Amino acid sequence: MSNSVISVISRFLDEYKTTTPNKLKVVDAYLLYILLTGALQFLYCLLVGTFPFNSFLSGFISCVGSFILAVCLRIQINPTNKGEFQSVSPERAFADFLFAHTVLHLVVMNFIG
Amino acid sequence: MAQTSWLRVFLFGFALGAQALTPSHYLSLSDVARLETFLGQHFTDLQSAYYSIVGLAKLGAGVADQDEACQFLKAQLDPTSVDSLFYAAVASQALAGCEIPLSNETRDILLAAVSEDSTVAQIHHAVGALTALGLPLASQEVVTALRVRINKEENVVAITLALQTAARLSQQAELGGFVEEIEDLTARLDDLGGLYLQFEEGLEATADFVVAAYGLSDHLDVEPPLKEEQVIQLVNSIFSKKSWDSMSEAFSVAGAAVALSSNRFHVPVVVRAEGPATVSHSKPTLQLLITNVLSQPMGSASVLVESATALATKSVVLSQTPFTLRDGLFELNFMSSQPASGYYQFTVAVTGDSRLVANHVELKVKVSTEVAITNMDLSIVDKDQSIGTKTSRVEFPSKSKDSFTADSHQNFAMAFQLVDVNTGVELTPHQTFVRLLNQKTGQEVVFVAEPDSKKLYKFELDMVERKSEFDSMSGTYSLHLMVGDATLENPILWNVADVILKFLDEEAPAVIQPKTLYIPKPEIQHLFREPEKKPPTVVSNAFTALILSPFLLLLILWMKLGANISNFSMSPSAVLFHIGHAAMLGLMYVYWTHLDMFQTLKYLAIIGSLTFLAGNRMLAQKAVKRMEKK
Repeated sequence: MSNSVISVISRFLDEYKTTTPNKLKVVDAYLLYILLTGALQFLYCLLVGTFPFNSFLSGFISCVGSFILAVCLRIQINPTNKGEFQSVSPERAFADFLFAHTVLHLVVMNFIG
Repeated sequence: MAQTSWLRVFLFGFALGAQALTPSHYLSLSDVARLETFLGQHFTDLQSAYYSIVGLAKLGAGVADQDEACQFLKAQLDPTSVDSLFYAAVASQALAGCEIPLSNETRDILLAAVSEDSTVAQIHHAVGALTALGLPLASQEVVTALRVRINKEENVVAITLALQTAARLSQQAELGGFVEEIEDLTARLDDLGGLYLQFEEGLEATADFVVAAYGLSDHLDVEPPLKEEQVIQLVNSIFSKKSWDSMSEAFSVAGAAVALSSNRFHVPVVVRAEGPATVSHSKPTLQLLITNVLSQPMGSASVLVESATALATKSVVLSQTPFTLRDGLFELNFMSSQPASGYYQFTVAVTGDSRLVANHVELKVKVSTEVAITNMDLSIVDKDQSIGTKTSRVEFPSKSKDSFTADSHQNFAMAFQLVDVNTGVELTPHQTFVRLLNQKTGQEVVFVAEPDSKKLYKFELDMVERKSEFDSMSGTYSLHLMVGDATLENPILWNVADVILKFLDEEAPAVIQPKTLYIPKPEIQHLFREPEKKPPTVVSNAFTALILSPFLLLLILWMKLGANISNFSMSPSAVLFHIGHAAMLGLMYVYWTHLDMFQTLKYLAIIGSLTFLAGNRMLAQKAVKRMEKK
């Protein structure tokens, strides 16, 4: 059982390394970073306590929001999805990404206290 | 009294559907005397003289000095003024042997005042003067003039004066229309809580209306269109005020009182008990005073108890029993029917005159009695019942010669019976208390003795259970029995015996302080909300470093992937874009530290728009480059 799981994972990793264009790998690295940051914040909250709660929430939501926006960006600039995003060029996707981030950061900064 | 009347209306008016409203206000003898004194005060002008002389005449009293009054009228008379003639003429009619000098001009002036151009008040004065002086007048002309004036002046006072004028006219004239005016005026009365009926113009207008209505009805021998309930409500309104502001108000009230006592159709009757409504063996008769609103006794009436119901048991004790008239009071020997002590509801009916209004009255009568304490047994009962019970009987009102000692192994018990002295029936009064008074400290503890099913009162003092009430103070206590009730004529406070109580674990101090209820209490310090405990700085710093570590990972990964900025075109828009973007991020930090939302939005708008424009340009250039590469 574990054997098949390991083989599936290794195969997945191989395919990923070979078939994914570099741009997407850059975005994926960013996604991993955001994920780790959020997870660590959550770990702190579990270990030390929720004081101050608003700061924890704003940090966590910032991570979650950034993750989602980056995923959207990745989907939109992926060349294999070009068929579904006819009207959205990669530049447009990036501009949207930046604008959404501005709004997100405004809210997060307001809430961080 | 008003409260009970209101309650009665609700309960009985709905249940029986009959009008059971009775007068809650009337003129007592002292009120009548006060009214006469007020009207009899010294007058300085003709109008006050009129109110005084005529008012007192109506009440049956006379002015102090009739001749002096007559001289005053003659001296003050102004023969050219209709009002002056009216006051003098009507007042002189009330005085014996007083004649106002007349002349032809007088008659002409008065007749000229009877026209459609004068006000109703002027017509009233003219007609009043003409009839008082015995001069002829054309009644039909007056009726026409009044009709016109009523249509023009529609207020209550004018219509009332018109009715009073009509009452002085000959019966040949068409006066029937005025009776309808009474009904219209009745509709304009304000109902206050179902108890009072009066005009918003005030008490005087209401009283004048009553005088006018009954004056006209008596004159025409037509029953006024007033319901019985309305008559009583008018009575309540008019006689609720016992001191009057002006002579005219007192005059109107006197007129209304006389009208309501002696008209041909409605005479409200006032029924009240003489003294407190209580009967007992020493005073077995219930005496009622039946009067009209002027507190004049109505001897010709016959009074009957329709039913007398005991309030406790709802059983009917008396039915259709007449009262006997003796010395102006109506009496009934209630004790002859041997009622048990308590409260009784009497329904009394006054008959004998078809004019009587509110002649069914509800009265609450109390039957009181005297109580005697019998079979008072005091005993010390041992808890394990190993030693026999020691009982001693005490006779009221002497105190027991033995003293009783009880400690924690024993209970002190008391049993007695309360009986009615006259009938021997066992009683259960409202208050049966046992009071123990510590002779040394003055501490007092009170208990309630309760009757069992056979109405035998028992009281038991369990030393252990009750020690908290006594604060465990041992000592000699004097025992008192207190018996009281509203229906008892002889409340009892009896020092029965002395009891020595011994408590274990005496905790209380030797001198008892009175319960410290009123000394200043300890001050409460306000506790402000404690700020939450922060984790130690070391932990916070460690985690901050930990959180920043993924950023390093990101940089490493990016370097491994070969992400670079080699493609960076130094176009002005790109540079501007990056600067703008960096400025926005910087603004975020400054927002966190210094600014508020409004300022941030302001700066963000400026920087953001610049960045947007530059970014747009830059991305467009990139897109073009990408297209070219393809």
